[in-house]
Amino acid sequence: MNKQRLFYQLLVGMFLMSMSLFAQDESELLGDPDNGKKIFTGQCAACHKLDKKAIGPALGGVAERRDMDWIIAWTRNNAQLRASGDKDAIAIFEEYNGSLMPAFEYLSEQDVKDIVAYTMAGAKPKPSPDDDKITTTEVGGDSDDGSIWIILGLAIFLIVLIAILVKVKNTLKVIKGDPTSSLLEDASVFTKVAVRNRKVITLFTIVVAIFLLNQLYWSLMSIGVEEGYQPEQPIAFSHKLHAGDNQIDCQYCHYGAEKGKHSNIPSVSVCMNCHQYVQEGPKHGEKEIDKIYAAVGFDRETSQYIEGYEKKPVKWVRIHNLPDLAYFSHAQHVNAGNIECQTCHGPVEEMEEVYQYSPLTMGWCINCHRETEVDTKENGYYEEMHEKLKAKHGTDKITVDMIGGLECGKCHY
Amino acid sequence: MASDKTYWKGIGELENPEMVEKLSSNEFPDEIPVEDFLTQQESQSSNTSRRDFLKFLGFSTAAATLAACEAPVIESIPYVVAPDKLVPGIASYYATTFDDGYDFASVLVKTREGRPIKFEPNKDAKYAGSINARVQASVLNLYDSTRLKDPVNNGEYSEWAPVDNGIKEGLEKAAASGKRIVVLSSSINSPSSKKVIKAFSEAYPNVSHVTVDAFSYSNALDASAEVFGVRAFPYFKFKKAAHIVSVGGDFLGDWIGQAVSADYATRRKPGKDMSRHIQIEANLSLTGSNSDIRHRVKPSEYGAVLAGIYNRIASATGNSSVSAPKSSIDAQLDAIANDLMEAKGQSLVICGGNDRNNWLLTYGINQMLGNFGKTIKHQKRNNLRQGNDKSFNSLLADMEAGRVGALFMVQTNPVYQSAQGQTFAKALEKVDCSVSFSDKFDETANLCKFVAAAHHPLESWNDSEPFTGYYSFMQPAIRPLFNTRQWQYCLLKWSGNDSDYQAFLKNNWSGREGISTDALFHDGYYTEKKEYDSETEPNAMTAMSSVKVAKPGEDTELVFYTKTGMGIGNLSNNPWLQELPDPISRVSWDNYLTISAAQAADLGLKNKNRSNGALDGSLVTLKHGDTTIENVPVLIQPGQAYGTVGLAVGYGRNGVGKAGDNVGVNAFAMMKAGMHSIGGVKIEQQDGWHQFACVQLHHTMMGRRIVQEITLDKFLNDPSATENGKGWNERTQFETIGEKLTSDKANLWSDFDHETGHFWNMSIDLNTCTGCGACVIACHAENNVPVVGKEEIRMSRDMHWLRIDRYYSSDMTKEKAAEEGVGSRKMYKAMEDPSASPEVVFQPVMCQHCNHAPCETVCPVAATVHSTEGLNHMAYNRCIGTRYCANNCPYKVRRFNWFLYTDNPDHFGVNYALNDDLGKMVLNPDVTVRTRGVMEKCSFCIQRIQLGKLEAKKEGRKVKDGDVQTACMQACDTGAIQFGDVNDPESKIAALKSDKRMYHLLEDVGTQPSVFYQTKVRNKNA
Repeated sequence: MNKQRLFYQLLVGMFLMSMSLFAQDESELLGDPDNGKKIFTGQCAACHKLDKKAIGPALGGVAERRDMDWIIAWTRNNAQLRASGDKDAIAIFEEYNGSLMPAFEYLSEQDVKDIVAYTMAGAKPKPSPDDDKITTTEVGGDSDDGSIWIILGLAIFLIVLIAILVKVKNTLKVIKGDPTSSLLEDASVFTKVAVRNRKVITLFTIVVAIFLLNQLYWSLMSIGVEEGYQPEQPIAFSHKLHAGDNQIDCQYCHYGAEKGKHSNIPSVSVCMNCHQYVQEGPKHGEKEIDKIYAAVGFDRETSQYIEGYEKKPVKWVRIHNLPDLAYFSHAQHVNAGNIECQTCHGPVEEMEEVYQYSPLTMGWCINCHRETEVDTKENGYYEEMHEKLKAKHGTDKITVDMIGGLECGKCHY
Repeated sequence: MASDKTYWKGIGELENPEMVEKLSSNEFPDEIPVEDFLTQQESQSSNTSRRDFLKFLGFSTAAATLAACEAPVIESIPYVVAPDKLVPGIASYYATTFDDGYDFASVLVKTREGRPIKFEPNKDAKYAGSINARVQASVLNLYDSTRLKDPVNNGEYSEWAPVDNGIKEGLEKAAASGKRIVVLSSSINSPSSKKVIKAFSEAYPNVSHVTVDAFSYSNALDASAEVFGVRAFPYFKFKKAAHIVSVGGDFLGDWIGQAVSADYATRRKPGKDMSRHIQIEANLSLTGSNSDIRHRVKPSEYGAVLAGIYNRIASATGNSSVSAPKSSIDAQLDAIANDLMEAKGQSLVICGGNDRNNWLLTYGINQMLGNFGKTIKHQKRNNLRQGNDKSFNSLLADMEAGRVGALFMVQTNPVYQSAQGQTFAKALEKVDCSVSFSDKFDETANLCKFVAAAHHPLESWNDSEPFTGYYSFMQPAIRPLFNTRQWQYCLLKWSGNDSDYQAFLKNNWSGREGISTDALFHDGYYTEKKEYDSETEPNAMTAMSSVKVAKPGEDTELVFYTKTGMGIGNLSNNPWLQELPDPISRVSWDNYLTISAAQAADLGLKNKNRSNGALDGSLVTLKHGDTTIENVPVLIQPGQAYGTVGLAVGYGRNGVGKAGDNVGVNAFAMMKAGMHSIGGVKIEQQDGWHQFACVQLHHTMMGRRIVQEITLDKFLNDPSATENGKGWNERTQFETIGEKLTSDKANLWSDFDHETGHFWNMSIDLNTCTGCGACVIACHAENNVPVVGKEEIRMSRDMHWLRIDRYYSSDMTKEKAAEEGVGSRKMYKAMEDPSASPEVVFQPVMCQHCNHAPCETVCPVAATVHSTEGLNHMAYNRCIGTRYCANNCPYKVRRFNWFLYTDNPDHFGVNYALNDDLGKMVLNPDVTVRTRGVMEKCSFCIQRIQLGKLEAKKEGRKVKDGDVQTACMQACDTGAIQFGDVNDPESKIAALKSDKRMYHLLEDVGTQPSVFYQTKVRNKNA
């Protein structure tokens, strides 16, 4: 139910978006391909492509095949056209297994002409190779290796610099007539002076010890804390695109979050709700979406599911891992507590690739439970309890710890 | 004050008081055997120095730490296409039926992410909606990796095609030769399955269907046929029975398949309507333990007792009497008959055993009392027992004579379950085509040409009609795990019908007016207003002239019985059931010969306790005619009639798997002619001792007021007890400087706030608790409780979160001692003696969730702490295993993980629920599996509490009474265990807390538990 509703909301959203685009751009030109493109992407692209069959036929160069009046009649109400007994219309309808195309009566003749102008001008070239390059660097995440090379380069530069300076010094000495000394001899003289000075030694030892202990403490404390963990995923799925740009609600896909303990990773069938129609992405084109089709067995050419296909599950890498001994319920937080997803997961709608935003340590949980106010509003469960708690604590602000949110057994059983 | 009767926990307590004292001061009596491994030769001869050891230790610690820094990559694999309505983390429930030919129940099965993990009672179902320990546990048998994974063809694993062909060939050959083709099954109550057999018999000539029950009621059914005109037991209505007399009928244990404890319990609530229950029996059964008055007689005397009652009622009602010898309890029979006469039409006399005469007399008595149509609904047939030994015997004769061409065995294992097992095994060789539908390579399957690997009930489709007009439906909750089939599908296929059984079944039910098949399988049951109408009124009187009551035997009689955990042994390879202590003897992992103390003394048989408390028993050889059973351990059983011994069937199996094989001895071998007792048994002592795994001497609470008990008369008429804590339920007062105070007032602690939010409490009614053990198994399944095995149980290291203590009574009381002027030393000594026929009480004890908990104060790391909702929390990962808490717990309910019971198949492989990848599918994903070295205990099913609260929050409402049910409460079909929030004034638990019977266990200690008990009331003359 919920899925469907959201899907329709999405469709309506896309429709409205296109309408506004349409209203903004009232081109006076006959057959304006720019306006045509806007309408095409908003209205037609779900079912039609320019260069190949999708749910409907390829539209590239359609005016060469069909008469303009026919195109206008078909586009605005193809059912009527078919009812009138137009043979071409019936033929095309049957060729595509009777898939219904909605009537677009609100498109003016000029609009249709614009679209046709766009189809005649042709689509932009396929996603440029640059896009692929971006993908590989992002997915590969080579940035760490890069910094090591920089450090290494700097080190070599410094060594060379020291060598040059020593050479310069010795050359000067030669000129002056003094005996020369090698780099090692200079270093040992310096070390001897330093080692004889107890104060230097003590200070040095203290500084080193504090540094090491500090490092040790923080490295021990960070064992098992995977803050910032950003593994490579099998599909380059962009939350920024879906949740950010397209404003898809988190719980459209992660529908388990309000119901039970798990916020489920959506199954491919959920992806297919949209990607049955949206067959190309803005960045990776068909490449990543093909991975979904490979999992579920969907034929891009015919836009049909392949019968008897052996489905292959997608092996996502889990980012947020709580230890088994901690029982965490999403429903408790998302549904009962009305906590935003972003409170723990960070700005997912801005993340190209998701990483672990919070430390997910017990201290972090506890802190939040101490500070977060219980959402008692309009929840019958808390009605009586809230009055008693207010009286007991003498404050209107009831935080989670006051209703037992710090007790061991609430999370560990 | 309630009576101060002393209960003792076992014969060992009597014989070895020092041991008991030692035990009571030590929960874990065994020292860690440090000496053992430190003095071992190898460790001393080792040339590893202390310095080297420390180096290694340091290195390995550092290495382990470094290794732990690298987090493993965890994959998360969602469904490709998510099943409809499945939300990960949320359980789905399906209504289905459990039926293995012996146990029957309408159940709900709880599944998580497609895995069935627990059976729960279908409380909407009117008739078979309560489930016993075996049905509860049977979910584990689904994941038994020793189940047959493929069909077997001549002893070799095969595929279905060659097996189908081979069997079809065999059938054609048998048909051509004119030999018999026989379907041998346990009782089948499924209308559709019977249709399948009919279709099969139409496809081949000479097909017959023979039914045999392992625990036979064949003669009893014959007697029923004489009285009712139909060969079926009537439906017994315990709800209407104000006065129950049972002669050898263990109706609260296993009887004729009808589960009656819920009905029985409705009349056991103290009050004017409380029933009186008199039990006359040889073995101390579960039913006898729950009776108000119990008499011990030998089974051969049952006839004389029944005839005695019959004649007394006959003379009062003007009927003719039957000739019968006198019984040993004739003196008591007048009173029994009088009481029965007073409760005409509301009484119920039943009997056990498989003796035609006894059953006829029973029916005769009930007819004279006008019970037909009232407490005995003869219009409703019981289809759960249909076995006919005569047709089985003629089948056996035909098999021996080579007249049987093909034999199909359904849910039956005659080689194991019959006294003629060996004969049957030999005769099986003469059957050309023998097929066993079995899920195991068991005793019979082993000898068959083909084994058609069978489904578990959770993988099967079926319907059933256990009682006339009540239908229960079975639907699969999981795809078949292995290459198995259900027998109905096979028979259909072999008779040339290629439709699957699901379609066949639905076809059977479709097209009926007002019934949708989807609704039937959704609800799991269907009740039809249908009554069996016999043409003639039932009449037991005409058959009375043929009743011959035999003279009671003089020699020792062996009584066969089924244990609560094991039944007839269908589910033997179930470690939960094997480890479930028998409610009466509290012995697990065994069957044994129960014998009275007097007879044991006569025969020189003994029970003794080892230094660590473990129980040992003498070994004997049983002889009867040409049958011998060797190595039978002896357990001295109070309440056993002198001259009788008891032995449970269902043990001594072979070929069922690690947990079931070679546990105990097979008593079926001696169960001759289907009789439930045989006379003339010789008992010969063998050398050596048998080691029992008995939890009997565990957690002794001797000498204190643990179970509070009064008579019904006192309960009804004592004016002093107007409210809780007064009169007979008076609480101990402590002297203080100011005044006398009860323990909850006289304390140094500050109280927790239990006014705000929830305050979870549990009530246990000792009156309706029958001790059946269903709650113990439910707790196992719900909370992933480990099984430790026989050796560890002997070390008193059982892990049950919930135990059911059983206490016997003694004749000596403080009042009696005062009256007779017995000194206190003598009095306490005498209190240890059991009465000749002890009264028995059961007391389930789990963590009492004390509000002033002794365990919490002694934990050095605060791993066990109190919650605002009245629970005692246990954080496993915080626990460092000091065991201070267990030592300080007055109830001895904390359990320590001495070993790694999980993923340790070398040592604990017997428990495949935690040590086998398939078996682990049964685990409840909402409860942590504990590791070695931590303490665990009852959590009040906190996962269910949290779920109940969450559902309420999600819906924005308060938690309703009944939303949160612990696993034990849900499993309890008598409603003895109740759980809820006492801060909800509307709740049942709030009313129970102020009930005048309410008391806290060891209240004097001042622990203020959240669990309270309801005083036991016995309906007997004071």
